[in-house]
Amino acid sequence: MPIIDATHLVKTYPSPERGTFRAVDEVSLAIEAGEIYGILGPNGAGKTTTLEMLEGLTDIDSGEVFVDGLDVRRHPRSVKKIIGVQLQANEYFDYLSLTELLDLFAGLYRPRMSVPAAMLALVDLQDKAKAKPTELSGGQLQRFSIACALVNGPRILFLDEPTTGLDPQAKRNLWQLVRRLNDEGMTIVLTTHNMDEAEMLCGRIAIMDHGRIVAEDTPEALILAHAPDPSAAPLHGNIEDVFLALTGHGLRD
Amino acid sequence: MHPALHLGRVFFRMFRRDRQALIFSATFPLIFMVVLGFLRDRGPQPIEFSVTDHAANPASARLLKRLGANPLFAVTTGEEATLRERLVAGEETMVLIIPADFSGSASTELVVLVDAAQVRLADLILPALENALLEVERTVRGIEPLFVLRVEDVQARSQRYIDFLLPGILAFSLMQISIAGSGFNIVEYRRKGILKRLFVTPIGASDFIAALCLARLAWCLLQLTLLLVVAVFFLDVNVLGSYVSLYFVIILGTVIFLCLGFCVGSIAKTQQAVGAAGSLVIFPQLLLSGVFFPIVAMPEVVQSVARALPLSFVVDALRGISNDGLGLTEIAPALLGILVWIVVSFLLATRLFNWKAVVG
Repeated sequence: MPIIDATHLVKTYPSPERGTFRAVDEVSLAIEAGEIYGILGPNGAGKTTTLEMLEGLTDIDSGEVFVDGLDVRRHPRSVKKIIGVQLQANEYFDYLSLTELLDLFAGLYRPRMSVPAAMLALVDLQDKAKAKPTELSGGQLQRFSIACALVNGPRILFLDEPTTGLDPQAKRNLWQLVRRLNDEGMTIVLTTHNMDEAEMLCGRIAIMDHGRIVAEDTPEALILAHAPDPSAAPLHGNIEDVFLALTGHGLRD
Repeated sequence: MHPALHLGRVFFRMFRRDRQALIFSATFPLIFMVVLGFLRDRGPQPIEFSVTDHAANPASARLLKRLGANPLFAVTTGEEATLRERLVAGEETMVLIIPADFSGSASTELVVLVDAAQVRLADLILPALENALLEVERTVRGIEPLFVLRVEDVQARSQRYIDFLLPGILAFSLMQISIAGSGFNIVEYRRKGILKRLFVTPIGASDFIAALCLARLAWCLLQLTLLLVVAVFFLDVNVLGSYVSLYFVIILGTVIFLCLGFCVGSIAKTQQAVGAAGSLVIFPQLLLSGVFFPIVAMPEVVQSVARALPLSFVVDALRGISNDGLGLTEIAPALLGILVWIVVSFLLATRLFNWKAVVG
């Protein structure tokens, strides 16, 4: 049985031009436990809205979602106990250090599942324990927001465009972190508009456009089905690999 | 620890670290109280008033002595020519000329020179002047006054302006801290996406509201206690009633304005809008609710509106306890008003507060 099972999800928003606007249009997806599942699509395709419906953050107009067998609409709080969510917005309360913020989030779960120091170590931010989020670099901030999402030892981790705005080093470092968490058995659902990220990280990808899933499969199968003939595109790798080979893989933050 | 208490403690810690807000909400009322208290307690400034004495006899000396004894006036004497010049130059308010034949035995005309621009002050001075002349006349003619007025303070206590001011300042501070605490914070947290971050955890809306209100209430009590300590120990303000009643009213008042703050925070979508909406709630009450001067000093039409404002009830109740030493049963009408406002503001807040809209 899939750990996330969504059928016929619809979300409609009022729109000044067209009266209403279907941000998510009949989306169904099934995600197995232990997968890294990517939702790929351009900006405005409905990725974030879909994710927030799975998380129980956005009201579902029609359709249903079961997370670990729990109906998200009827038991949103039970679902929230077993999921970790990293949002696109990365702002936090003023005046609180990383340690204090992690302590704040951990204290919202009962029983409390983690101590801040362990969470910071997990994402390589031990040195920043007393820093404020505003003092972090982009990559550090993303890792910190993942740490916040892990305070409850979630079974499923949702990442909304985790590498947008990061430099290649920070991006590769974040991928490593995601793989490590996945190796430990965590199911990971992420959105991205970065092709490489989808290809390198995800076991399966759903490609979304205009609120609909237009294709869903493993990256290899999608490439075989849709990419041009290899003889027409003889180069392997891409310019980003060249950039990394020349600038090194070390983190720059 | 319950998540709401845990969150409340974190909120309290954040309020403590917000120095800017601390300066606004704690220092301002203190400055208000100290400055206004000192200014008003010095009493009205005497009106300067000059006299040319052409008579220079016992009768004119008696008149001068009378006028000098009146705290309303600061009397100086001088030459008529100089005083006239100074009056034209606007350096004198009023000049009284006592003619040479002023003796008290025959009817004499005294001339008062005024600057037309100062005619309003003249209205104030002339009756006192006539009164002084009447007294001189009585003395000269040996007539006993038929009626004597004696003013007696039935409250039998001294009340300075600062005693009157303290309850008003307390009420105003609690309003400001509470509205800023709920309304302004929500809009900021929403804009930054922090509310959404909180609501991917299992805490409920009620936990969040309870946490914010508890933290604000604790913060409010702390700041008002600071104000009270300064007022009582350093400014020598008298609090006649019981502190338990005083704090009881403070807590009830805080609940009203926390609810109203949630209303403001629910309607306003941006930081600027919440500032404007907040001012709309705060400023009319600052002016109309008897914080700085009693409501009875206002025009009748305004009074009826002013009395219905939530802050008026809080000011009334606090003033009753602090200035008149009343118990809770004696301020029942004000308490009833406060309770009605708690119900109204709570219903309004729960009606207006759209949880999803706040998060999203």
